[in-house]
This record gives sequence, structure tokens and C-alpha cells, in this order.
Amino acid sequence: MSSTQGHVIKCKAAVSWEAGKPLVIEEVEVAPPQKMEVRLKILFTSLCHTDVYFWEAKGQTPLFPRIFGHEAGGIVESVGEGVTELQPGDHVLPVFTGECKECRHCKSSESNMCDLLRINTDRGVMIGDGKTRFSKDGKPIYHFLGTSTFSEYTVVHVGCVAKINPAAPLDKVCVLSCGISTGLGATLNVAKPTKGSTVAVFGLGAVGLAAAEGARIAGASRIIGIDLNPSRFDEAKKFGVTEFVNPKDHDKPIQQVLAEMTDGGVDRSVECTGNVNAMISAFECVHDGWGVAVLVGVPNKDDAFKTHPVNVLNERTLKGTFFGNYKPRSDIPGVVEKYMSKELELEKFVTHRVGFSEINKAFELMMKGEGLRCIISMDS
Amino acid sequence: MSSTAGQVIKCKAAVAWEPGKPLVIEEVEVAPPQKMEVRLKILFTSLCHTDVYFWEAKAQDSVFPRILGHEAAGIVESVGEGVTELVPGDHVLPVFMGECRECAHCKSEVSNMCSLLRINTERGVMISDEKTRFSINGKPIYHFLGTSTFSEYTVVHVGCVAKINPLAPLDKVCVVSCGISTGLGATLNVAKPAKGSSVAVFGLGAVGLGAVEGARLAGASRIIGVDLNSARFEQAKKFGVTEFVNPKDYDKPVQEVIAEMTDGGVDRSVECTGNINAMISAFECVHDGWGVAVLVGVPHKDAVFKTHPVNFLNERTLKGTFFGNYKPRSDLPSVVEMYMKKELELEKFITHEVPFAEINKAFELMLKGEGLRCIIRME
Repeated sequence: MSSTQGHVIKCKAAVSWEAGKPLVIEEVEVAPPQKMEVRLKILFTSLCHTDVYFWEAKGQTPLFPRIFGHEAGGIVESVGEGVTELQPGDHVLPVFTGECKECRHCKSSESNMCDLLRINTDRGVMIGDGKTRFSKDGKPIYHFLGTSTFSEYTVVHVGCVAKINPAAPLDKVCVLSCGISTGLGATLNVAKPTKGSTVAVFGLGAVGLAAAEGARIAGASRIIGIDLNPSRFDEAKKFGVTEFVNPKDHDKPIQQVLAEMTDGGVDRSVECTGNVNAMISAFECVHDGWGVAVLVGVPNKDDAFKTHPVNVLNERTLKGTFFGNYKPRSDIPGVVEKYMSKELELEKFVTHRVGFSEINKAFELMMKGEGLRCIISMDS
Repeated sequence: MSSTAGQVIKCKAAVAWEPGKPLVIEEVEVAPPQKMEVRLKILFTSLCHTDVYFWEAKAQDSVFPRILGHEAAGIVESVGEGVTELVPGDHVLPVFMGECRECAHCKSEVSNMCSLLRINTERGVMISDEKTRFSINGKPIYHFLGTSTFSEYTVVHVGCVAKINPLAPLDKVCVVSCGISTGLGATLNVAKPAKGSSVAVFGLGAVGLGAVEGARLAGASRIIGVDLNSARFEQAKKFGVTEFVNPKDYDKPVQEVIAEMTDGGVDRSVECTGNINAMISAFECVHDGWGVAVLVGVPHKDAVFKTHPVNFLNERTLKGTFFGNYKPRSDLPSVVEMYMKKELELEKFITHEVPFAEINKAFELMLKGEGLRCIIRME
């Protein structure tokens, strides 16, 4: 074990003191991992929209001060009692949702919604003892999504850590611990388009482009990208998107436009915006008889999904997914291997890089809608 | 060919002259089959709720006079030009929708909604020449669902005829040509419950009990029957329903009741009422992570399915089916074989039997909500 094992580590973390205010690089104390926990040295992390959403904290109960971040790649520094699956030096991706491997969900071949470790956006403490492992001057700093990767060191539950190929470049594969896998899995695990089929992707941000990447890997013949922002179309071409539709350019509902382009509807659609109208369109634009629509984007809590039931009786299927239906520990290492075998391309998702001290630039880029993924290097 | 091949046949048919009025047994003329058509001698037919709905013709345009009926079994009397798959003497089930085998739907492994021959409730004529094959004194009598089985002879498109094992008793397997297959297939082909799983079935009429039968065949460990009419529970026990829920007995939504009974939700649900609230409940009562809900019952045209989208993001799946996703020509013969091998039980669906002359009794029974299937013997 490393020389820091069992000790409190003092290190840098980007602390969010107040909603919507720039993060401040602080020296924090990171306690050793307790039972079933591991302490990770984070090497690279990236900003995902979910971090921004909870940093803005509009409309939810805010919990501050907090260390955000949930997309990252790192190395195990030390492990707590009872941890056998990981040891110091292992290369890992921490994940915001976990896999206890014991509950009905983990035992199901389909679900990835672990009863114990499923996503919890409210919780700011560790499950084991209800306390934080971060503090500054004796005051607790709250966790986020059980990951808190905007810190040189963090403590996470062992069930939320995916052990990956140590040869994988962490500055690329860190993006697999959230957004890219979400979109990729929505297509490959849930929509499952067959070779030669047609796929519509709603929303051409990082998650949507990952869904398009999944469609490319599956051999789709047409990948139709839908977005209200035409400046996204150019970038999307690199991801295999073959046609673009901007709903603003048409008077009729987008599902009708798509049905006309595809002789009755697409074979598969993947909805990556969270806008409830886009969700309804994504469902109604698939072909009757065999079409499948997959909802990915997270809506507002008061939104209602509405459709005429005949659309369901006409043999359209509506599914939803969470983290692309990937079980974090069981499946994410395999996704890393797809990258290593050059089947999956990740470099095209990385559009910016900053050093840790400039982490707020990543927020600025995202707020301006620029770029896809900004990698934050902890070492600099 | 039979001696009637190529000739007009005069026979008895139960004609609906006006909406909602008792059918009248008349002598009608049945023209020979045209290209890609076959003329069938119907031996047994049964009443399905869809016949009643269009006989009442309350909300939609329905043509009259009309020969209703779409659940039946018979024998091929003669075939029209171009028909190679059937010959006189074949035992068949006519079906209210068809399989052309050429279109994208027929070629798909998943769909059974043939572009050419899918259900059409408005059409009262044959597709090829838009004329009827039935007439009385030269006046046309309209077809229904391309089947019109309340007649001793009828003419249907060859794509709508399933050729079955000639040993199968037609007075039993006639019910396979609509309602029972709809429910059975909803479970076996679409919901696909695993052995030992839990299944909720909404609506315990003939279609719902067809779905229950499917759950029994699949080896479900719990089959929860949901119905507003507790009188249906006794009957449903014979079909393997293990528990009953009457939404009227509870203050809370039925999906909550079911979730509490099943540690979070059932593995599969099948909705066989067409009531929009039942549809929403059927979706919301399946377990997150792996639950699948299948909608079967047909709603009225202004119904809106509404749910919170988080119910999808929580990995519940919503599917719908039409005729249990069975392709009529390709799949129904094997459903008949399931019966012949004594896997599928059909006798329990048949609660009444009447001769053709008393066909209106079948309507009376259905309007009173009595029984499941009433077989009408043509001879």
C-alpha cells in the first residue's frame, strides 16, 4: 500500500461554496476509506451537464459547500476494510451509479438500477456512516453523486468503481464514466438497431453524439440528427450523422417530417435532450410494426409524457434507459476494451483541455454551449 | 373442385339490416371467388366484442346491410385465379387481418401489420374490385373485416386464411381466429414472461383470459387478475389466476396496490380492457429495471395515454400489440398445434353453444356480460 494509506490526505479540490458561483481551488482534507470504500487519486476529470445542473441548484434543495464532478479516470490509492476486488495501483473509472452485485437489480440480466447504489442526487454523505470524507478546517464538505471527482483525491463506495485495462489512456477513457456511455449504451444495449437500419437521434450534444456513435458501430444505414441548433450539424457529421433536421425549419410536427423522410418512420430513435416534446416526437416518429424509441434525456419533474394509445397498439415500443443500461462494474471495462480495439472512437468527443486550476473555464464553455467534452488534468 | 365451383351459391346468412337490431336469417347469393380470393364453407363461428361494437355502430360510420362475424372455422369450397396455397377441402381459419408476405411488415420478424391486408373496419367490399360478393335480389350486402363469417358461405382474400391441421375440431379452434389468440399472443409473443415471473392481467374477459392462459403456459408463478367485476374472479381461477384485485376495493391507485403486493411491481403486465386509466395503471405497475407492460385493449379515439417520463427512464418498457403479434398464415397453424398437443386449453373458453338460427342469443349473452365464447353451429 502507498505511504498515505490510513492517513488523512491534504490535497487540492475545487469547492463549490454557493450555487452558481465559480469553484474555488482549496486545500481540503480527505479521510481514509471506511468499510467497503476506496480512496482514489483522480488524474483526469471532465464536466458533464448534470454537474452544472446541480451546481446551479435552481429548484432543488441546495447542499453546499460541495465537491462536484462524476466523470473521471484515476488510480486506487488505498482500500477500506472488506474490499477485495480492488487494490492500490488499479486503474479505475468512478461511476455515479453502482453495482452491489447482490440485489435483484444487479442479479437481473437487464437492469442496472442497483437498489443500494443507484444514483442519488440528494445525498452528500457516504452511505456507510452518513458522514463526509472531505473537510476543511474541520467543517464538512459534501459529496456529489458518490464520486466528487473535482478533487485530487476522493473516496467512493467500492460498488461504484469500475476496474479497467491499465493500458487505457485515462485522459480519453474518463469520458466513459458518464455521458458517452449513457448515449452509447442507449443505442447498443437498448435500441439495438440492426445493420442497415435507420436511427433518429434527438439532441446532438455529447450524449446524443454518443448515441450516434453507437448507431455507427451497429452499422445503421441512416443516422438522422435532430437539433434546434444548426451549428451542431457540422460537428455531428464526424460522428456518422447522415442527415439533419431542425424542427424550427418546419411547420409540421417533427415526427411527421421524419416519417415522410423514411417511408413511415425510423426503425429506432434515441432521445437525448430531456425535452418532453422531443420525447413524444421521438416515440411517434418510429415505424409502426417494429419501431423502438429509447428515452435518455432527463425531463423536468413536472413534465407529462402524452401520446395516443393507438401509437402503442400499432406495435411501437417505448423504452427508457439509465446510464445506457450498463452495469458499471460488469460492463464498463468492456466498453473501454471497445476503445482499445479501435471499434469505439473517443478522441472526437474531447474538444477542450484545461489544467485543474482553470476548471471554471470548463463551466464557461458548457454554459456557452461550446464544445463537447473538456478534459480537466489534475496534474498541472 | 366441388360442384359449386365457379357458380353463385345460394345459402343462409345472418344479415344486420340496421344498427343494433337483431340479425335476420336470409337467403343470400354468394358470388364465386375472384383473383386471390377463396370461398369458404363456414362450419362454426363465434361472437367477439368487435362484432357487437360495429353492429351497434354508435360512434362511427358503419355500412349496412352487413354480414358480421370474424371468428370462425371452415373448409375451402373453391379458390379464385392465382391461388396456389389452398385447395378445396382444406380446413381453415379466416382471419380479420392478413399476410401478403411481400410487404415490409410481412417480411419483418416482428410485425404482423401487413400493409395490404391489415385490419380495416370501414371497408365493406373486396379489395380487388371494391364490390361485394354477397347480394340479395341483386342488392349488395356489405362485408365486415374481410371475413363476414355469419354466413354459410363467405369469400375472403387468400392472405387472410390460415390453413390448419384437418384433425383439429373446428368447433373448438374457431376461437383461435381472434380473441383468444389476441390475448395469448400478447403474453407469449410480446410480454414474454420468464418461468417463475409475476404477471398482472387487466380485464378478465375472453381476451384477458387468453392472456392469462399465455402466462400459465409460460410458467408464471403469480398471475394477478385485475377487474372491476368481482363476479369474474371465480371463472378466472380455472385459468390459473392466483390473486385478484378489484380497483374499487381500494382508495389508492391500483398500480400502488399491485406494487405493494409484489415488492415493487410485477415483471409483466397485459392490459385487455381498452380503458385508458387501466392502460396507465398497467404500465406503472410493472417493476422498474426490467418490467414490461403490453397494451392490448382498444381505447376510444380521444383517449390520451399520459405518464411521467421518469417511469421510462427507470427502465420500464411499454409495448402494444395487435392480434397478439401473430402473423395469421405463418403462426396460427402452430397455435392450433399447441391445442392439439394439449398444451393450450380451449374448451374452458367455450361457455355456450347455439344453432345458427338462434344467433341473436349470442348477442344477448354478450350484452348481458354472460359467458366467454358462444359457438354458433352453422349446420
